[in-house]
Amino acid sequence: MTRFPRLAVALASATLASLALTACGGGSDDAGPAGDPVSGGTLKVAFWPDNAAFPCVDPFQTYWIEHRTVIRNLADSLTDQDPETGEITPWLADSWEVAPDGLSYTFTLKDGVTFSDGTPVDAEAVKANVEGWLATVKATNGSAFGASYVVGLNGAEVVDPLTVKLTFDQPNSSFLQATSTTNLALISPASFQNTPADRCAGDFVASGAFTLESYSPNELLKIVKRDDYAWGSELADNTKAPYLDAVEFSYVAEDSVRTGNLTSGAVDIAWPRNPFTVEDRALIDSAGAAIESRSLPGVSQTFFANVTEGRPLADRAVRDALHQAIDIETYAATIYGDDYPLVEGGFDTTTPYFTSQADKLKYDPEGAEKTLDDAGWKVGDDGYRYKDGQKLTLVNLVPATSPGEELIQDQLKQVGIEVVIDVTPNAERPAKITGGNYDLVANYFTRADPGALQFILDPNLANSKALATNASTPETLAELQRLFAQAIQTTDQEQTEQAYADLQDLLIDEGVTFPIFERVQYAGVSSSVGGFAFTSESFLRLNDVWKQQ
Amino acid sequence: MKRYVLSRLAQAVGVLFAAFTVTFAVLYLLPSDPVALQLGAAGIETDKLTDTQLEAAKAQYGLDRPVAEQYLSTLGGFVSGDLGTSIAKQQPVAGLIGDRLGPTISLSLAAGALSLLVGTGLAYLASYVRWRPARLVLSRLPSLGASFPQFFIGLVAIQLFAFQLGWLPATGSRGPESLLLPAVTISVLTSSLLAQVLMRSFDETLSQPYVVTARAKGLSRAAVQWRHGFRNAILPAMTILGLLVGLTVTSAIVVETVFARNGVGKLAQESVLSQDVPVVLAIVTLAAAIFVLVNLVVDLLYPLLDPRIVQLPRKVAVR
Repeated sequence: MTRFPRLAVALASATLASLALTACGGGSDDAGPAGDPVSGGTLKVAFWPDNAAFPCVDPFQTYWIEHRTVIRNLADSLTDQDPETGEITPWLADSWEVAPDGLSYTFTLKDGVTFSDGTPVDAEAVKANVEGWLATVKATNGSAFGASYVVGLNGAEVVDPLTVKLTFDQPNSSFLQATSTTNLALISPASFQNTPADRCAGDFVASGAFTLESYSPNELLKIVKRDDYAWGSELADNTKAPYLDAVEFSYVAEDSVRTGNLTSGAVDIAWPRNPFTVEDRALIDSAGAAIESRSLPGVSQTFFANVTEGRPLADRAVRDALHQAIDIETYAATIYGDDYPLVEGGFDTTTPYFTSQADKLKYDPEGAEKTLDDAGWKVGDDGYRYKDGQKLTLVNLVPATSPGEELIQDQLKQVGIEVVIDVTPNAERPAKITGGNYDLVANYFTRADPGALQFILDPNLANSKALATNASTPETLAELQRLFAQAIQTTDQEQTEQAYADLQDLLIDEGVTFPIFERVQYAGVSSSVGGFAFTSESFLRLNDVWKQQ
Repeated sequence: MKRYVLSRLAQAVGVLFAAFTVTFAVLYLLPSDPVALQLGAAGIETDKLTDTQLEAAKAQYGLDRPVAEQYLSTLGGFVSGDLGTSIAKQQPVAGLIGDRLGPTISLSLAAGALSLLVGTGLAYLASYVRWRPARLVLSRLPSLGASFPQFFIGLVAIQLFAFQLGWLPATGSRGPESLLLPAVTISVLTSSLLAQVLMRSFDETLSQPYVVTARAKGLSRAAVQWRHGFRNAILPAMTILGLLVGLTVTSAIVVETVFARNGVGKLAQESVLSQDVPVVLAIVTLAAAIFVLVNLVVDLLYPLLDPRIVQLPRKVAVR
């Protein structure tokens, strides 16, 4: 095997060139208590409600951002990813080689690492994980979230006790990034003897800085420090045992109550899913707590259209007008505050290979009206547009009403497009999408790799085949699939970079994605907490976190 | 007396059966495909499956059988104590409810006790006080209390007692101090309803001829109200006791969400959102069972308080 330059190095240079990372940088580096970190104490974190449909803390299976945030501190991965540069860096693997044909990845592991049950993290363990992942994909009919991270992977061979070779049916350029994620974090070989459902409930052991003490879904999740931990990622300052004795994650449904818990000192960190409102940020600020924020990498909060024949958005002109008529600047300022970052395309700005489409997303109501006029959509007596007797009405499928949905409804009304907000509980959503009775549906996907979008847009891979099929015309879909293949089935970084740039143009030019807002992970952090850090996926990294005693 | 008890029992079973059947029918008459819905709750999107996979998935959840057959087997399961398996959570429903029952029972009991205390106290005071303005204010308080939405009371209580004053925890279900705010929130409504009924009942009772007789005999106002008024006025209030217990259970859905308490109410909310039909069915039936049980106990207590009830047809006795 000829030695191939580390993909990590190549990735780093590529991403350094193409990225303007950390768009929405940390709130305040100087926040937090003064002095050196001290050990001890229990950190209290308040999340929004737990995933009622799938309360699962198994690294490979879960997709919920909060579960992945907890897992990041329970289970280590082969590699890590630098949040500043997107570079893949060593963690449980000291080094790795990618074969020139992209069909094998050979990892050399750190010596002396153990799972919390004492078994070693060695080549056999990695092999057991690979086999466990593939078995889980099969057992869950491909619905396990991790399935999207191991496309093409077919097995692993033990080369020597600390060297393992992962083999592929077809190249998968996003796999190295995948090895840095929580979804491919390693758990002990014995853990895979438990059923997927048992692992979801917490029945597994890993090699992380904390171990899972208890998980009571939607109530409390507690993790405790592992004293003999000594193999933290170099991306943290503290690679040894963490400062905190324990961390308690509770689930609070009401945003105002969660924020109040922080400002009244009942919790140390408030971790919302939706960005803090302007009012909540003011409240946190006045309580002396810090507001940390970072864009979540991956697909931005974006509408996907239904372009099937007979629906208004099958008309390319209507899709173009939609881009012109949605005022993302006012949206960001009104809903999330004046300093909220603008969405610049189908991906959030912290996604590797991101290229800005901001020029094409400028608010232009006159342009939108002209586009619609030229396409034959004429304004009727009621102020809405009609063509051949058909009213220009778009059905927006939402799980609950929100000011944001109403704002967009109002913005589109200005140019004569009627929006019907169809409130549909999540459980009914799949059936409605399959039935095709909608025009717009919002979706997102958090992963620090553009390949994530395949799992929304490619009918062969997507969780909702119907949404994927409806989202683009057959010609556009073929082009999307070609670009994804070009980007992923190669080891040539320049090719990947070019394909992802073309893809991001295509998403806006052909009206596949209609970005609404940049997804920003906020955290309200008490002034007695130091060492706060986000991972590259904007999860919470606890290695350096300490609490004033 | 035996006939009275038996007829009450038969009625209780009948109500329970009807509640189960209506709930089952409603859940199956939802305006969408129950198969797709329930598979959706299990994280399976039907359009991703091949026909064979779809059939297998349907068979796994028993959705391939006719509705009548599903109804009978579910009913049989309930009668024998098997509440089925949650589709979304893949766990036995009985276990799910059992795990969450503790916080809700303690909340219900606390709220119930508080409502009894505040509701009766308020009504008693309102009919005892003679100074008109005070009497007016006291008699209007229940209407005010019954008009506030519970989530609003809950949020205001959290803001005031947890965030501003810092006396009580805002969220969680650990320790008796975490019980106080949610219990107060629920009892604002239930004690108001109780007080409203009691006040009217006091007014009626105290205008009865035997009260005048008692006063004429020289008994003090306090003694008359306690010995002759209270015991007779409490009867109609007992009738709504079942309703109040039912209310504390339904209130739990809102209150447990606001106060982040992990009880049956929150389970109900989660299950409705994910349309987890077996769990919803079990919770509704459970709530109906509690309602029926409380009413049965009340019905059986009546004869002890008022012997006329066994002899007379019920309608006449309890208005």
